Amino acid sequence: MEGDKRFRELIDRSFVEEVSEGERQLIHDHIRDCDGCKRYLELTARTIRGLREFTFTSEPDSNAQVREILAHHTETMRQHNVQFKVWAAFAGALSMSIVGSALVYQVAKLLTVPMYFDTAEVQVGVLVFWLLPSFCSALRLLAAPGENRGIA
Amino acid sequence: MELLADLVERCQHRLVRYLLYLTGRREYAEDLAQETWIRVLQRGSQYNGRQRFDPWLFAIARNLAIDYLRKKRRAVATVSLPNDRDAMLLLPSSDPSPFEAAARSEDAMRLAGRLQILPPLYREALLLRFQEDLSLAEMAQVLGAPTTTVTSRIYRGLAALRSAFGEGDSHGG
Repeated sequence: MEGDKRFRELIDRSFVEEVSEGERQLIHDHIRDCDGCKRYLELTARTIRGLREFTFTSEPDSNAQVREILAHHTETMRQHNVQFKVWAAFAGALSMSIVGSALVYQVAKLLTVPMYFDTAEVQVGVLVFWLLPSFCSALRLLAAPGENRGIA
Repeated sequence: MELLADLVERCQHRLVRYLLYLTGRREYAEDLAQETWIRVLQRGSQYNGRQRFDPWLFAIARNLAIDYLRKKRRAVATVSLPNDRDAMLLLPSSDPSPFEAAARSEDAMRLAGRLQILPPLYREALLLRFQEDLSLAEMAQVLGAPTTTVTSRIYRGLAALRSAFGEGDSHGG
């Protein structure tokens, strides 16, 4: 009985996992003399065959529907991606504009004495010739239509 | 996009079949299949190209199905929900069952009734192995369980189904 249990485990294993040629031969030899295990093997084979005999019919337009949905999502994702890039570029440009202006202002301040400028003139100069143009350039990124932004 | 369209062509039928087994309803299966493909599109970069695509696809589908069924049940639940995620795979009643509708032989019809009441973990393991022909390692990936657990589920499932062809059955062979 214990022997039969071992053989039945081996029979199960032969259907589910890899078994060696020797083990296969062992099963073959055993079921020649053991009706119980032979029946067990037949039932297992029949069960597995039955499991393979389920056939589903799919909706004829199912694939086309999925492809359409995916195309729509791809476009949406692309648009989100572009928007993200634009805002990232704007944030970068704005930061560079502010940091750059601060640096230019610091350098210009050092030149106020040798160039005979006063601080107010330097501030106006930096504002008009550096901060405002760079700020406008950053804003223009947001306002430019789609592909003309050059970063999409 | 072209690659994804090819994959849809190749795998959609099997995906819907797998989801049908899990959820027991065609409308759920179709919706979840679409959701699965969208997830594939969004997370394509996470796919390891050295492994087969199907197990990865099924794993995504399985997680979505469990979450979906959990939400469905929560919406109608009057009793507390089971904690085990896998317990969510219990089939809702539908008439005829997806297995009966898909059975193409007398033996398959006999198994259909058993499959409907088989513990979901065993049913899923049997179907992935013998319908989808996944290897044990691939099944382990889909089910998120060790290979030893997977094989044990298959053996127990087989044991439960064998009894569908009981003693005195004259249709052997």
